[in-house]
Amino acid sequence: MKPILELRNLKMYYDTQAGQVKAADDVSFVLNEGESIGLVGESGCGKTSVSMSIMKLLPENGRIISGNIFFDGKDIVNFSDEEMNKIRWAGIAMIFQAAMNSLNPVYRVGDQIVEAITAHEPNVTFEEARQRVANLYKLVGLDPERMDNYPHEYSGGMKQRAIIAMSLACNPKLIIADEPTTALDVIVQDTILRELEKVQKKLNMSMIYISHDIAVIAEVASRIAIMYAGKIVEMSDSVVIFKRPAHPYAIGLMSSFPSIRGEKKELVTIPGEPPNLLNAPDHCRFAPRCPFATDECWKQTPSYSEIESNHFVACFHPQNLKKLVNMNA
Amino acid sequence: MMLKYIGNRILQIAILLVIYVAIVFFLLHAMPGGIKTLLISNPKLTPQAQEAIIRAFGLNQPLWLQFVDYMKNVFTLNLGISFSYYPTPVWNIIAERLPRTVLLFTVATLIAFFVGFASGKSLAWNRGKTTEYVSTVVGIITYTIFTPLLIFVVIWFFGSFLGIFPLNQFLNPDLWIHTRLNAQIIFLYILMTMVIIGAVMLASYTIALRFSHKVITRRMIFYLSSIISVIFSIFFWWVSPVGIYAADILWHMVLPVMTVTIISYAGTMLVMRDSMLETIKEDFITTARAKGLPDKVVRDKHAARTAMLPVVTNFVLSLGFVVSGGVITETLFSWPGMGMTLLDSTLAKDYPLAAGALIFTGIFVLIAHLVVDIVYAFLDPRIRY
Amino acid sequence: MADNTNMTVKSVEVKLESPFSIKVRLLWRAFKENWNIFSKSKIGMIGLYIVIIFAVAGFIVYPILADTVWKTTSLNAMVSYNPVTGYDFLQNNPAPPSWAHLLGTDPLGRDVLAQLLYSTPREFMLGIVAALITVVIGTLIGTVAAYFGGAIDTFFMRLADIVLLFPFIPFLIVISGMMQVDLLTLALIIGLLSGFGGITIVLRSQGLIIKSRPFIESAKVSGASDAYIIVNHIIPNVMPLSFLYMMFNVTGAIFSEAVLSFFGLLNIKMSWGLMIYTADTAGYIIGSNIWNYWWLWLPSGASITLLCGAFYFIGRGLDEVVNPRLRKR
Repeated sequence: MKPILELRNLKMYYDTQAGQVKAADDVSFVLNEGESIGLVGESGCGKTSVSMSIMKLLPENGRIISGNIFFDGKDIVNFSDEEMNKIRWAGIAMIFQAAMNSLNPVYRVGDQIVEAITAHEPNVTFEEARQRVANLYKLVGLDPERMDNYPHEYSGGMKQRAIIAMSLACNPKLIIADEPTTALDVIVQDTILRELEKVQKKLNMSMIYISHDIAVIAEVASRIAIMYAGKIVEMSDSVVIFKRPAHPYAIGLMSSFPSIRGEKKELVTIPGEPPNLLNAPDHCRFAPRCPFATDECWKQTPSYSEIESNHFVACFHPQNLKKLVNMNA
Repeated sequence: MMLKYIGNRILQIAILLVIYVAIVFFLLHAMPGGIKTLLISNPKLTPQAQEAIIRAFGLNQPLWLQFVDYMKNVFTLNLGISFSYYPTPVWNIIAERLPRTVLLFTVATLIAFFVGFASGKSLAWNRGKTTEYVSTVVGIITYTIFTPLLIFVVIWFFGSFLGIFPLNQFLNPDLWIHTRLNAQIIFLYILMTMVIIGAVMLASYTIALRFSHKVITRRMIFYLSSIISVIFSIFFWWVSPVGIYAADILWHMVLPVMTVTIISYAGTMLVMRDSMLETIKEDFITTARAKGLPDKVVRDKHAARTAMLPVVTNFVLSLGFVVSGGVITETLFSWPGMGMTLLDSTLAKDYPLAAGALIFTGIFVLIAHLVVDIVYAFLDPRIRY
Repeated sequence: MADNTNMTVKSVEVKLESPFSIKVRLLWRAFKENWNIFSKSKIGMIGLYIVIIFAVAGFIVYPILADTVWKTTSLNAMVSYNPVTGYDFLQNNPAPPSWAHLLGTDPLGRDVLAQLLYSTPREFMLGIVAALITVVIGTLIGTVAAYFGGAIDTFFMRLADIVLLFPFIPFLIVISGMMQVDLLTLALIIGLLSGFGGITIVLRSQGLIIKSRPFIESAKVSGASDAYIIVNHIIPNVMPLSFLYMMFNVTGAIFSEAVLSFFGLLNIKMSWGLMIYTADTAGYIIGSNIWNYWWLWLPSGASITLLCGAFYFIGRGLDEVVNPRLRKR
């Protein structure tokens, strides 16, 4: 399999008046063609910063300090805006966190999708582009007649579908879905995720899902990377992570999700507050909240260890969930 | 839907108009020491004339009857006879002067709006640069400067120092003394030309929007037809024997227009800047960037177009302010429009004319409001549907 | 153990304060926080400094100078020199600035600096009285309309529509031409007229936001009367916005007064606008002439501009306090 996207030690910092915010620190992962990965973590852990770094849509005070982003074999970190504009949407498309506000209120929804097509494929006529949009509408389960409506005439779910249609408009190789369904109710959430998965499989695209909800991600992504305080702390196949989480934070995340089928157990909350990324410390960033922390954890940042094949954990004391449960019981 | 909206607005404006006239009536007529006493106590009037005025205005009737009469009179344009231009009816004076104010005001506000819009847009887009800082400061200065102060400087700089523009008056008497032309007629022709050019631009814009989806062709259609209509009208005036007189009037208009523009552009600019800064943070701007649209398209088509909406709203609210600035400008440039009429008639204690001027200034603002409202509906689909 | 409880009781007792002092403390803290934001706004601070300079000049410097330098002694009474209204036969007027008259004299031989300083407190008074009336009316109507809604709301909003469209200055011109308007009457008229205008619309929408907050509901449930809720809950919360609009109204009032007295329509002894009127009607402000007699119009015109501008600046500075969206990161 050919890797479509590779992040190598990506460091993305924000300069603020109070100091440097290390939103992404040494983030590395590889995404193959047709594969999907989920980035999970609490809000403010740097998930969105990573996705914005890939699109190179950083705010003025955000900088990529070091590291590489290889897209389709080319390092795009030093690409100019013009070069990036060719990659944006045609290569990497995005489904945004707040789909509700991702459509410009003063233009027709269809026109906004047509605009994306004509910007990248100038030879396509308006009518052809419209035809393509109509097909996309059918693909995501929208009535093509609604193309000429304005965003305020759409419901939340319809807007979300329109956004998905828009992300598919230029047949991108990679789609980043940043909290694609957070604003929707559970039923709609599920349908849309399934549709997204279906489309992804059908068109053989790569996908990055970003969410705070590990349960949602596990359903659609084949691999999961758990982020904490700007770092990926654990990464493996979704099944593995779900069954055998090893990082104390991942265990905490798992235990804070109720299971319908499983036995009734008390939801465990992770004590303490999410870390302040401002002037982040040099030691393990989870140490202040970690029940297993030792002196070692307060001295240096743990490096990745492969505890089983393709299961990476950045922790000095990787745990075994089963043992823990038995111990408590 | 659109028609219904416009109909609604027209109805609302009509009601506002009636209420406005009522307020003017009660404040001017019903107050102790109001027009009533002043009308009678004018020392220039003979007792017979006083008697005639009392009868003509029905001043000995009960107040509500007077009000009904007044309303009727306003809407039949029977505003009485001016004292200072006796025996010219007030309406004739207003009919002569209103178009001058309308032209001055419309041209200046349009220029001011576009200048303010464009500069506010680039200020927000190029945030943090020296140019942003300088033009914000200049904008705030022109926005807060005491209008007469500004006008003194403008008159001195362009009229005396550079000596390129004529000061005072509406036309050059030396030129007009040899002709029997009526300045009023020429003026109305100028107004008509401008309306025609405006209509052509609007029509070409609509046609371009309807028949082409390519930005370049749309622009071509719009600019070409605008330029052609402007060239054609210039040519028309050039060959006509009265062209030179029209040029004279326009030449006299430059400084007042410039002044009103300077007074009012900064308001639009500052609001546009703030609005644009807020719009840039919106998610759909990030979407537009992520779509890989060129910077200019994101700025103009997505950010500026959406940021424009609150600017237009604010523009409506500032109409009163601009009209006030217009009064001062007209007076100091001796541009015989409504503002100057208002002040002169007030100083001359010519109350019928002052009241008439006040009412028509208000009507003018209300109609401007209506026009902007309709434009707004075209700009914002959330209102249209 | 007993010791322990005793201590907690003690500390609770210490913490008990009278509600009044708590209120004062909270207010003080809120003030300090807002001051911190405001003091970062350059433009707001410039405005504040200008206002302070004018206030010192008008309220402190003028009385002192009037008592010493410009004191009417029997001697200068004989040559009939009074700094504000009198004559000076000893020189040609208007005289350019000299040590005797720092800003020269006007066509009637009056000291320009004295006129300037004499008018300063009056401009302040006019601006603040007018703005206070506006804000009191605007706040009351705005909150009442927001709280009760219905017919009251509709009525006041339509009224505000009209007042907004009122050609304000033309109207004041006609009124002051008809009646003898002095400074206080003018402040009253301006205050009353603008109190029903745009400010009610702004404060009503702010009031609506506050009305929808949960604490209003809880106040209602606990049996608070409508008047109590408006006075104790809604008004304090719209106060910052009222204060902001008060600054803009001060600007408007001072500007209106200056225009009216510039046209010679007001029945007042002296004001900045009247100073320009005097010079203008005496024929000293004509085209190329203006710089030969700059002291006749520049100091007063600049004062109007500066003071109007200063209050406007303070308003812009406050805007950043009230409107967090405008703040820089």
